[in-house]
Amino acid sequence: MNWTQFLFRLIEPVVPPRFVIKRLLLLIPVLFGVASVVFAILHLAPGDPAIIIAGQRASAEQLEQIRVELGLRRPLWEQYLSFLWDAARFDFGQSYSISRGNSVRSVISDRLPITLELAIYGQAAGILLGLPLGIISAVKQDSLTDHVTRIGALTGISVPIFWSGPLLILLFSTYLDVFPTSGRIASTLFLPDTWTLFGRELPLTGMITVDTILLGNTEAFLSAAHHLFLPAVVIGVYSTALISRMMRSSMLEVIRQDYIRTARAKGQGAKITLMKHGFRNALIPVVTVIGIQFGTLLGGAVLTETVFGINGMGLTIVTAIGVSDYPVVQGTVLTFALLFTLVNLFVDVTYSYLDPRIQQ
Amino acid sequence: MSSGDSLDRRSFLTAAGSAAAAATLAGCSGDGGDGGGTEGGDDTGSDGGDGGSDQTLVYARGDHPESYDPQQSTSGEVAKVTNQVFDTLIQFAAGSGGQLEDALATDYTLEGSTATLTLREGVTFHNGEEFTASDFKATWQRFTQSDYEYYLGDDTRSGYGPFTLGDWIESVDASQDYELTIELTQQFAPFLRNLAMFASAVLSEAQIESLGDSQADLGDEPAGTGAFQFDTLDNPNERIRLTANNDYWGDGPNVGTVIFKTITENSTRVQDVINGASHITDNLDSSGFQRAEESETATLLRKDGINHGYMAMNMARFEPFRDQQVRQAIAHAVNTEAIVNQIYQGFATQASQPLPPDVLGHNDDLDPYPTDKEQAQSMLEEAGYGDGFEFELATFSNPRGYNPSPVNTANQVKSDLEEIGLTVNINQFSNFGPYLDYTSAGKHDACFLGWYTDNADPDNFLYVLLDPQVEMDAVPDGQDWVSFDTDGYNTLNVSGWANTDYMELVREAQRTYAEGDRETMYEEASQIAYDESPWVFLDYAETLRAVNETVVEDSYTISSVGGPYLNTVELQ
Repeated sequence: MNWTQFLFRLIEPVVPPRFVIKRLLLLIPVLFGVASVVFAILHLAPGDPAIIIAGQRASAEQLEQIRVELGLRRPLWEQYLSFLWDAARFDFGQSYSISRGNSVRSVISDRLPITLELAIYGQAAGILLGLPLGIISAVKQDSLTDHVTRIGALTGISVPIFWSGPLLILLFSTYLDVFPTSGRIASTLFLPDTWTLFGRELPLTGMITVDTILLGNTEAFLSAAHHLFLPAVVIGVYSTALISRMMRSSMLEVIRQDYIRTARAKGQGAKITLMKHGFRNALIPVVTVIGIQFGTLLGGAVLTETVFGINGMGLTIVTAIGVSDYPVVQGTVLTFALLFTLVNLFVDVTYSYLDPRIQQ
Repeated sequence: MSSGDSLDRRSFLTAAGSAAAAATLAGCSGDGGDGGGTEGGDDTGSDGGDGGSDQTLVYARGDHPESYDPQQSTSGEVAKVTNQVFDTLIQFAAGSGGQLEDALATDYTLEGSTATLTLREGVTFHNGEEFTASDFKATWQRFTQSDYEYYLGDDTRSGYGPFTLGDWIESVDASQDYELTIELTQQFAPFLRNLAMFASAVLSEAQIESLGDSQADLGDEPAGTGAFQFDTLDNPNERIRLTANNDYWGDGPNVGTVIFKTITENSTRVQDVINGASHITDNLDSSGFQRAEESETATLLRKDGINHGYMAMNMARFEPFRDQQVRQAIAHAVNTEAIVNQIYQGFATQASQPLPPDVLGHNDDLDPYPTDKEQAQSMLEEAGYGDGFEFELATFSNPRGYNPSPVNTANQVKSDLEEIGLTVNINQFSNFGPYLDYTSAGKHDACFLGWYTDNADPDNFLYVLLDPQVEMDAVPDGQDWVSFDTDGYNTLNVSGWANTDYMELVREAQRTYAEGDRETMYEEASQIAYDESPWVFLDYAETLRAVNETVVEDSYTISSVGGPYLNTVELQ
């Protein structure tokens, strides 16, 4: 049994493999489209990679040599086919500027865990705050608490990150000085490249809070958590607001169902009824929103990372566009597209598992 | 739906709830935090050498390149780090306006087309190898000689390769360990200054050879002879850690560790210094400058910069600019005083000529063009443009040191010129790279640009930016401009200006070693540039640094070229 058969056998009780394969095949035209658009935009945009590499002081002769070396003198269709072939192998060449001499693949492998970690914490903040707020709001419908929560949620959805981020930095870092202004860990704390498990040296994950735990370095973990708190809150605000609104409406619908009344009539306590019957059933549509929301969080990372100076995928895209580092832009945009589609696939699979009618 | 399925879903939802609870705990533990205090002068994680104390100096900057090879970059951010790790043969004296002093060479002469240098003995690289003349030869070959086994490569080396060494060096004799004889392709007065540029930093021949075909990797673990050795390159967190070099031949180092950290946001970076989390920062904008000045815990250090921000008028493209009176009229109409004092908030001075004040050949007799709209209007009328005309002014958007507010400056120029009947269409570029492509191709009518000196030599302004570098006979008689497609045209000359009197002077000065004679020639060339006005001379920006109070006064010296000189910095 090879690994694909093993995988299908593993998922079969949960969701039919044919459904997953169909969704995976749909990824191909999506990614092909994104790759083509990225190629077209970057080749239509002004900016000469040769000047980016050699700098303002380079002679015309040197610039021409570089253009030839990079294949920029080949016909456009040839460059396009070559790009698609390389992209299919996830090979985007070397960075022109932001990580000179290094492959785009290594740039992405350095940055991706940083963004994922931020998105996970943002999502965690959204779930931890959004679910209870939604439940409280539903249970205490039309009370002051409900109104405050609803206004808070509406504000959370409306406030853009590029405004809330600097505002929080101003309040908590500049005036109160309780959180650091930027970065992921105290500037004087450095981590090794590997950690040891049963005498074997293993690479770290790139997620700083996970790595500090793996290394057993409490001081570094606390510093990392301290640094990540504000960015996670900022990125999680929208998530919190959306989840709490969704949870509230879903909960309101559920608590009016007959089975809730029956449970109460049988003498079951209000809290137990609410959590055992109400919460679980109300969670089903919310789980879907949480999944979709994770993709949006990746997009939010672009702004959050820029505001907080966190060197993840988002800041990398912004910087790479700023300095016309085309290979990095191509690689990071395609990785984002791939991640987004995979997250959506996961949500679809989860939803079809929770509600099998969707597989039809 | 089977009961088994139902059970599975229920389990899933339970698991989801548990995960949420676990995340809550994680969130709670994260709230404890380190209070931000550990970001200051702590020496946690430092394994600095004995040469300095165990203190840690934190330098905050706005960008983090990921490779530190002086031959692969023209970036000042790379130079900030490589200047700590590497030495040059000759260096710019700390705190000076570009004066030269001994470094790895203890004696040097330039006669005719031969430079002779006596090298410092007993200097070792951080990799333990002894420094000798062959290290410089390997450095030069790696940078410029395509037939050298370890040549860096055309698509990898920076534009400084030919510009700094390649165009000028014919051969290097390193047959004696501590004597270097460099034959030049021609007499070239700025050559010794080129040896002090960061791109001329001396690399270790042993390291070059050990890298073999992977020369591009040198920037990951550079090994020089400098005051600090490269310890950790932390790209994910945009930091670099350097440790003290115990065997450094020069002053210091006085701290055990230097950390370069990155904070892209200007105001946040200044706040970091005010809070004491960083000790020194640079590239201040107007709000950062004010905040540092008003702070009780930080000091603002200022020094005249060796740079120039200007507006070039492209004679090759736009016909009215070919008339000297039109150019002078525009120079009279643009209120540079308002630009410097209001838009740049006083951290720049009005420019009068291409050369900044600290540079040899700056003509003290020249004052900035006085703003006089009436005179400007009458000059336009005399030139036959009394009804005005319309032109494009190209500008970049992001602040640069010599023009911290380009769009506001463009609007000031637009409104000033409207008063004399000229219509300015601002063409704003969001990215600097494409902007340089545009201006170097001569597609603009007028544009903003600027220049930070490489070596504090007048040639680096007057020849590099205003000589078209074409053959003299390529300039038609009676014409003082050439088109951008003239053979060998220097695309850094974005005004298309080609004044043969000026060209003869700066080319002669390039070959003249007697300082007095050179000075006179450059003063004359400056006078011509002033009279002919191919640019509106806007400003010379100051070099500014915010420094935390824990840095011992006078131990950090601000410099307008070279540095930062962190080897002398002491912390309280």
